[in-house]
Amino acid sequence: MVRGFLNDRLNADVSRRRFIQGAAGLATISVLGASAGASAAETPKLGGQLNFLGWDGEHGGNVAKPFLEKNGIQLQASFQSAADEALTRFNTGGRGAMDLLTPNKDFQRAILASNVELFQPLDLARIPTAAGLFPAFKDAPWLVRDGKTYGIPIIWGDEPCVFNPAKWDKMPARYTDFADPKYKGQLVLLDDPFGNIWLYAVSLGMKEPSRLTAAELEQVIEAMLKMKPNVVTIGASHGDMADVLIRGDASIGIGGWAYQTLIAKEKGVKLVVGSPEVDGTFFWSDAYAIAADAPNLDNAYAFIDFMTSTQSNAALAKELGSGCTVEAAYDLLDPSVRDLYPYDNVRKPGGGILGTQIVVPPQENDGDIVGAPAWVEAWQTFKAS
Amino acid sequence: MMTGSGLARSGRASTSLRPLLPASLLYVLFFAVPMLCLFVLSFWRAKGFELIPDFTLDNYEKAVVSKLYRTLLIRTVVVGFVTAAIVVPIAFSLSYAMRFVFERRGQLILQLVLLSLFSGYLVRIYAWRTILGKQGLLNSTLQWLGLINEPLEFLIYSNIAVVITLSGLLLPLAVLPIYSALLNVSRDQMEAARDLGAGRVHLIRTILLPLAMPGVRTAFAFAFLLAAGDFVTPSLVGGTQSLLIGNIIADQFRGIGSNWPLGAALAFVTIAIVLAIYLAVVQILVRVTR
Repeated sequence: MVRGFLNDRLNADVSRRRFIQGAAGLATISVLGASAGASAAETPKLGGQLNFLGWDGEHGGNVAKPFLEKNGIQLQASFQSAADEALTRFNTGGRGAMDLLTPNKDFQRAILASNVELFQPLDLARIPTAAGLFPAFKDAPWLVRDGKTYGIPIIWGDEPCVFNPAKWDKMPARYTDFADPKYKGQLVLLDDPFGNIWLYAVSLGMKEPSRLTAAELEQVIEAMLKMKPNVVTIGASHGDMADVLIRGDASIGIGGWAYQTLIAKEKGVKLVVGSPEVDGTFFWSDAYAIAADAPNLDNAYAFIDFMTSTQSNAALAKELGSGCTVEAAYDLLDPSVRDLYPYDNVRKPGGGILGTQIVVPPQENDGDIVGAPAWVEAWQTFKAS
Repeated sequence: MMTGSGLARSGRASTSLRPLLPASLLYVLFFAVPMLCLFVLSFWRAKGFELIPDFTLDNYEKAVVSKLYRTLLIRTVVVGFVTAAIVVPIAFSLSYAMRFVFERRGQLILQLVLLSLFSGYLVRIYAWRTILGKQGLLNSTLQWLGLINEPLEFLIYSNIAVVITLSGLLLPLAVLPIYSALLNVSRDQMEAARDLGAGRVHLIRTILLPLAMPGVRTAFAFAFLLAAGDFVTPSLVGGTQSLLIGNIIADQFRGIGSNWPLGAALAFVTIAIVLAIYLAVVQILVRVTR
């Protein structure tokens, strides 16, 4: 049983939230609870249960505490270890017992596109704080279907290379350049089939890097295999990758997390971020969504409204080492966290680069285009070769 | 028609089986039922975000035919076997020393051995990473002693690292059953054999091993089956060349693009192969020591 528990914890998907929970010493900033009163006053039927299933930390364990206590809400939080776990639970008896979910950008896009039932459209009049979102998040295309909005973004970020500046001045121009023997024994990747394959598809100049034919997928894996002799290990999570870099077992993390640099700094190790200049990196964002047939709708709306307030959003971004989604929250963030992310991207309307960048392949084969299972198998071949 | 004595036997049997009922129920509820569900699932299909109830052997065919899975299965069995081959003799030697050399203090040593289990599985893996890393304890010590100039890179992120770490993790679990078995071996038996001229090797082979065989068998089961089923250790100290089948099975149960039916089929193929090898090895052990 203990092994099973550990296995679940360890083999979680690449989760920043899980890492942050393990990283000691992160205090919640002192702005908590400032906006609790306003939103609570507008929701007449608060109290009782609120069922949360999402990424660890996004339940706002510290940030939401005063709001929950004031309104007599008992948050029943459980955490997913994979992006599609909410759907599995929903379809295996969870429907009618789930309120809040925290899908990531690509998962929510895929669900909405496939017309699979999981989320319900949101009544934005009940979430007035959402008006303060950065332009990219106000009309995020991955959260909208038929003019209805299905999620409120709560945090975002990118996945740059994290490297030791004592060993490297900068990253090469392209990801394919990591095949150079000078990187032997220096690289650590994340166990993320889609992120890695997507990056190499971009690097190889493929037009639609999330929509590959079988031949193109093979070409990508061939390019990745040329780099593999230089790879020390594949990190089980962002936390594991940071540990490998901090111990000096590798000096470059591909598809890392800017917050790893702060964690390393606490341990007396200097790491910096940078990505191949030509290829760049990819961006992610998580949102609050409400499950279809949610039993505690009033609590769910009030919770989202509270967490999207300026102060709460800043507190959550700081606690999770991520980008804030509310424009005014930016000013409340400490520069050490604020400067980790390129906010120019989210100040652009229409979703910015987050809106145009699709990292995850289609679920099923679509004509010549191969679906997600083929990507997973290709990634396994890469790992096992 | 049941005779009187038959009724009496039946009554005694039901009385004697009653204490087993709670444990049996728990076993069925928490082991048999989930396994049955997983077994049924292994014949289904995955389509997009949906699991389609079906009866197809495609998953099993893929699990057996695929070169990727075959390679990993072989590697898994080898790593499990090598780990067991290292762990069981060490556990036997340690148990022998605790039972017959240290005698009363043996219990204290046993407590110390078991105490390591309190540190937790994950903590112990990270401890081994600290020992085996490029700048780890072992490399630093060897460099300090002037025995090597450069860190020994094979110590971490390799099959060797996986076997060393698994051996360290599983040793306490293997010591316990062997020590318990040796507690049943009396000194009188040992002395009688010695009086009849048995040397130390002969004594161990013909007296100790057969008597301790239930414990050795259990220790081998712990070491081999748990090592073959592990996927956390390979992912943390194994690097890119040391994935086991468990890592690939885990991939099938998480994230977008996962395929639970294939994962279930892979799990059952692995269980079948690993159990078959375990039973064969136990048979050989029993024959050798008979």
